[in-house]
Amino acid sequence: MNEYIPLQAEITDIDRVTSDSYLITLQILDDVEFDYRPGQFIMVSVFGLGECPISIASSPTRGRLQICIRRAGKITSGIMDSMIGDVLGVRGPCGNGFPLGTMRENILIVGGGSGFATLRGLINYIVDKRDDFGEVAVVYGARTSQDLYFMQEYKGWQREGIKVGITVDVGDESWTGNVGMVTSLLDKIKISPGSAAMCGPPVMINAVAAKLMSMGFYRSEIYVSMERHMKCGIGKCEHCTVGPYHVCQDGPVFSYDKVKDWL
Amino acid sequence: MIALISKEDMVPFLQAVSRKMEVVAPVMDQGTPAYVTWKGQPLALEGENPLVSPVKLLYPQREVLFRYIQECGSYTFEEPEQKARLILGVRPCDMQALKVLDSLLYPEPTDQAYQNRRRSAVIAAVSCVDPGVGCFCAQIGSGPECKEGCDLLFTDLGPRYLVETFSPAGVLMLKEHPEFFTPATRSHLQEKERLLKEAREKIVQARPWISREGMAEAIKNADWKSLGERCLSCGGCSFICPVCHCFSIYDQGVPDGERVRCADSCILSGFSRMTSGANPRPDPGQRLCNWYLDKFEYTPQKTGHLGCVGCGRCNRVCLSAIDRWSQEVLK
Ligand code: SF4
Ligand code: FES
Repeated sequence: MNEYIPLQAEITDIDRVTSDSYLITLQILDDVEFDYRPGQFIMVSVFGLGECPISIASSPTRGRLQICIRRAGKITSGIMDSMIGDVLGVRGPCGNGFPLGTMRENILIVGGGSGFATLRGLINYIVDKRDDFGEVAVVYGARTSQDLYFMQEYKGWQREGIKVGITVDVGDESWTGNVGMVTSLLDKIKISPGSAAMCGPPVMINAVAAKLMSMGFYRSEIYVSMERHMKCGIGKCEHCTVGPYHVCQDGPVFSYDKVKDWL
Repeated sequence: MIALISKEDMVPFLQAVSRKMEVVAPVMDQGTPAYVTWKGQPLALEGENPLVSPVKLLYPQREVLFRYIQECGSYTFEEPEQKARLILGVRPCDMQALKVLDSLLYPEPTDQAYQNRRRSAVIAAVSCVDPGVGCFCAQIGSGPECKEGCDLLFTDLGPRYLVETFSPAGVLMLKEHPEFFTPATRSHLQEKERLLKEAREKIVQARPWISREGMAEAIKNADWKSLGERCLSCGGCSFICPVCHCFSIYDQGVPDGERVRCADSCILSGFSRMTSGANPRPDPGQRLCNWYLDKFEYTPQKTGHLGCVGCGRCNRVCLSAIDRWSQEVLK
């Protein structure tokens, strides 16, 4: 089998998430099992434009494959310009995903910007297996209130006893919530040390990790989903290396102690 | 199996082989040796290793991974087929480079495109009895003798070649063409040993400061800032290196077309730049350091092999004339 030949997936649904991002539901057309774990990603092709890595935004517990796309480059624009019924290429799932087997019961989830897409998959997984987890909190920051992802879902998470803290960098008249970095929320939400799962810009990750360690989290239990330029997604092209690791294969999720020097 | 073939018999032998498969061999091309499809030209098996490695025939700088063909909105895919060929004149360093690539590209998920080409080639290596001035294979442990990996091994003994077989495919090659081969004896093997011993001494004498063990320390001590100032980030070193294998993938054609793999280089400034514009290795010195670390630390960790085979080609193409295997750099 040629690893570079993708599966075919039909777009079955498109939802607007913010003014410049869509949640796209894909249906794999090939006759294969497509099983994945929260935190994994797929290589998505628009034939003629190329292929790029996109994190999976859905939970496998819900029997759907969803990705959240923001118009950033050529290929993401190509995906956003596609319509329901169009066929994309999909390779994967790629990467390791969050180490749910080794994570503690208490989980803190911290997201910044569009990095929140991969965490939505994890949160919905936890919601569906709520009894397997203890105290769970979600802290999420975006630039403005217009940039916040998945607003309609926060209430449902809270109903499952998940603490949700939302913040924006720049407030406006319509926003009555917190303004400031995600770190400013960590004091306000009461959380007990456990495992942390993070995805966002490196500055945020370093600041949050420092804060969490001062709160009693171990650096080996702070899991970071990393973003890198990727071409192959299978550990061959060397585009995604951080030190000795391939983010596409050894990651994208790493414990903070492994990758802190390369963030 | 060992045998002898006279130099005059090489042309008829290759002619016989080329009736069954493509033969690729080094010949003089505009004054320099290059591996091309052999059509009866005089062979250029001696002297300095050709600048473009024969590894690039098996891991080309541009290749089609598959074709996509659109029909009523969905796609069918076609893989290119590989034809059998004999590649003659592969030096021990390049054989070792193939071994390193095997260890990186074969493990699951296997790089099928590479494996298909690799498996369809019969490789006739040559012992490097006449090494180039920039070679340091002996220090790295990849030459000047070839100990494994090839199907056949040729060693230049003056008027004739000693031929050793290393695989069933190699044995078959001799058995199918008995008219060209005569028996060899132990004395021919001894002559080969003597020539290789001389070659080894010559190589080590040229750059005695290089050693496998010393590289980690040398990388730690190197002055990456000043090297980074000299490096033009052209990527020449990694495009010419037989072990470097960074690649990019792009599509050509709508609605039908090809997904193409092409060589890329971690030395280029945009290699790891992300769509957001963030660049994890913005500085040329950082990229050069990563290049050495990958060859002497990360690749050995992953595969047990160094990521350099000591062919010296990177020095031959450096636009800034950095001698990266000099004593000044490898302090
Ligand atoms: S790094 Fe230079 S000397 Fe080593 S294998 Fe590559 S081209 Fe040859
Ligand atoms: S994306 Fe190619 S090695 Fe990771």
